[in-house]
Amino acid sequence: MKELHQYSATELSALLREEKVSATEIAKASLARIAAVEPTVDAYLTVTEEKALANAAAIDAKIAAGEELGALAGIPIAIKDNICTKNVKTTCASKMLGDFVPPYEATVMERLNKAGVVLTGKVNMDEFAMGGSCENSFFKATKNPWDPTRVPGGSSGGSAAAVAACEVPFSLGSDTGGSVRCPASFCGIVGLKPTYGAVSRYGVVAFASSLDQIGPMARTVDDVELLFSTICGRDPRDATSHQYTYEKAARDLKGLRVGLPKEYFGEGITAEVKAAVLKGVKQLEALGASVVEISLPSTDYALSAYYIISSAEASSNLARYDGVKYGYSGRRDAGLDELYLTSRSEGFGPEVQRRIMLGTYVLSSGYYDAYYKRAKRLQQMIAAEFTEAFTKCDIIATPVTPTTAFKLGERCADPVQMYAGDICTVTVNIAGLPGLAMPCGYDAGGLPIGMQLIGPKFSENRLIAVAKSYETAVGGFAVKEM
Amino acid sequence: MKIDVRHIAKLAKLRIPDEKLGQMEKELSSIVAMVEKLPELTGSTNLLDPNNTMELRKDEIVPSMPREDILKNAPKAAAGCFIVPKTVE
Repeated sequence: MKELHQYSATELSALLREEKVSATEIAKASLARIAAVEPTVDAYLTVTEEKALANAAAIDAKIAAGEELGALAGIPIAIKDNICTKNVKTTCASKMLGDFVPPYEATVMERLNKAGVVLTGKVNMDEFAMGGSCENSFFKATKNPWDPTRVPGGSSGGSAAAVAACEVPFSLGSDTGGSVRCPASFCGIVGLKPTYGAVSRYGVVAFASSLDQIGPMARTVDDVELLFSTICGRDPRDATSHQYTYEKAARDLKGLRVGLPKEYFGEGITAEVKAAVLKGVKQLEALGASVVEISLPSTDYALSAYYIISSAEASSNLARYDGVKYGYSGRRDAGLDELYLTSRSEGFGPEVQRRIMLGTYVLSSGYYDAYYKRAKRLQQMIAAEFTEAFTKCDIIATPVTPTTAFKLGERCADPVQMYAGDICTVTVNIAGLPGLAMPCGYDAGGLPIGMQLIGPKFSENRLIAVAKSYETAVGGFAVKEM
Repeated sequence: MKIDVRHIAKLAKLRIPDEKLGQMEKELSSIVAMVEKLPELTGSTNLLDPNNTMELRKDEIVPSMPREDILKNAPKAAAGCFIVPKTVE
C-alpha cells in the first residue's frame, strides 16, 4: 500500500479535504521520511520541525472549525536556501550567509503561506546558486536518490533530491542557467523554469538578476502546475514581474508542432540521452503532434554569452557583501579595506570567487566592449532566433543535460567541464523563455534522462499541457524506491 | 593573453593568497578562453528588453522594516547604527 509520504500534493489535498487524513499526520509522515532518508540524501540544511507541526495543527484547527482552506493547505514543501523565509535561516549554502536570518518573507513565501503550505525546511544548493552539481555548497554535498554515489545536479540539488526521495511532494528551486531543470533531470522529476517575469524575484538572493527565476519542482506535472499557479503573477516589489494569471490549456496534442533544433542533438550529447529524447518526441507524435526540424544557429555561442552576462551581474550583485550590514564579517582592527577583503575572501567559496573574478574582468576597463557588450548583442540574436523558430513550431523539444548524473567529485577539478553541462539550458534563460524538464527514459545504469520543452514567453500552460499528456500516456513517472 | 589576476582581485575586493595566484590565473584563463568564443557582431545594442517594459511601483508611503529587525543580522551594531572600522583619522 502507498504510504503517506509517497502521495502527490494533489492527492494529499483531496485526502485532507475529505478528512481522510489530518494535516498533522501529513506533516509527521514527511518529517519521519526526512529523518529516515536524510543520512543518505543530505538534502536539507535546516529542518523546521516545530514550525511545520505548528502550521499543520493550525490547518487542522481550521478544518475543525469548518473554515475555508487555501489551495495548498497542509501540503509539506521544501524551499531552496536562497529564498528568504522570515525568521528561518537562509544561508545560500554559503559561509557568507551562514547565520543570516531574514527579517522578511520572499513574495513566493507570502503567497505559499497564504495558500496554507507547511514548510518542512530549507534545502541545499550550490553556493549562491553557482554550479551544476550541488557540490559547491559550503556545508555538504547532496546525493542523488537514484544513486547516492552521484550528484543530484545543481544548483537546486537539494530541492530535487528532497522531492525524488519523497521527503516532500514538491519544492521550489531557482533557475539562472538551468538550476531547476538540470537537477530535475538528474533526479527523474518535473521542473519548470518560468518565463522571465512570471514569478516575483523579491526575496530570492540575487545572482544574475536579468536571468534568475524561481521555479516549481515535483514528481507529477499536476503538482508543478498547482505550485506554479500559486506563486506566479505581478508583485509591485519586483518591477520586472508581469501581470499574469495562469490558465489551464487544452490537453489535446492534435496539430501541435514540435520543433527539433539540430544544434541540441550534436556533439557532446551522449547517444543514450539523444535516443531517449527522440523516443519521447515519438510519443508526442503518437499523441497527435507533428515534428518540424528547426535551426537555432547561435546555440554554439550561448555558453559564452551566459557566463559573461551572469558573472558580470553576479560580480555587481555580490558587491553588497562587505562584512558591515549582514553576513560574515572579517577583520575589524585594520581599517575598512581590510574588513572588506577579509570578509569577502573568507566568506565566499572558490567557485563564487571565480565567478566574481570573471565578472569583474569582463566589466573592467578595456574589456567591457569585447565581452559584455558582445554578449548582450548575442543575447538579442539568440532571442530573435527563438522568435523566428516559434513561427514554425509551437514548442521545442531538446535534451536537458548532455549526460545523466555524474559521480560525486568527477568534475570538481575542471570548472570549464562543469560549465559545459549547461549547454542545453542556458539559452532559455538568455531568451527569457519558459522551459520544462520531465523524465523521458533511463540510461543503461538506470539513471533518469530528461527532456526539455521550450515555449514562447508565457506559454507555461502549453508546456504543462503537453507534459501532462505525455505523463498520462507513459503511465506516470517512476519514483525511486529507497 | 595574460590576465592580471592581482589587478582584477583588487577591483573585486578579494584577497588571493600568493600561493593560489597561479591556480586562479590558470582557471580564469581557461574560462576566458571558453567565453571568448563570440562572433563579431555589429549594430546597436539595446541593453533593455523591449518586451519587458518594467512597471515601477507607485511612490507611496508604506511601513518599512523595523530598524531593530534589520540590525539583528548586523555583525556589529550600536545605538541603532552599523559599526564600521574607523575610516577618518
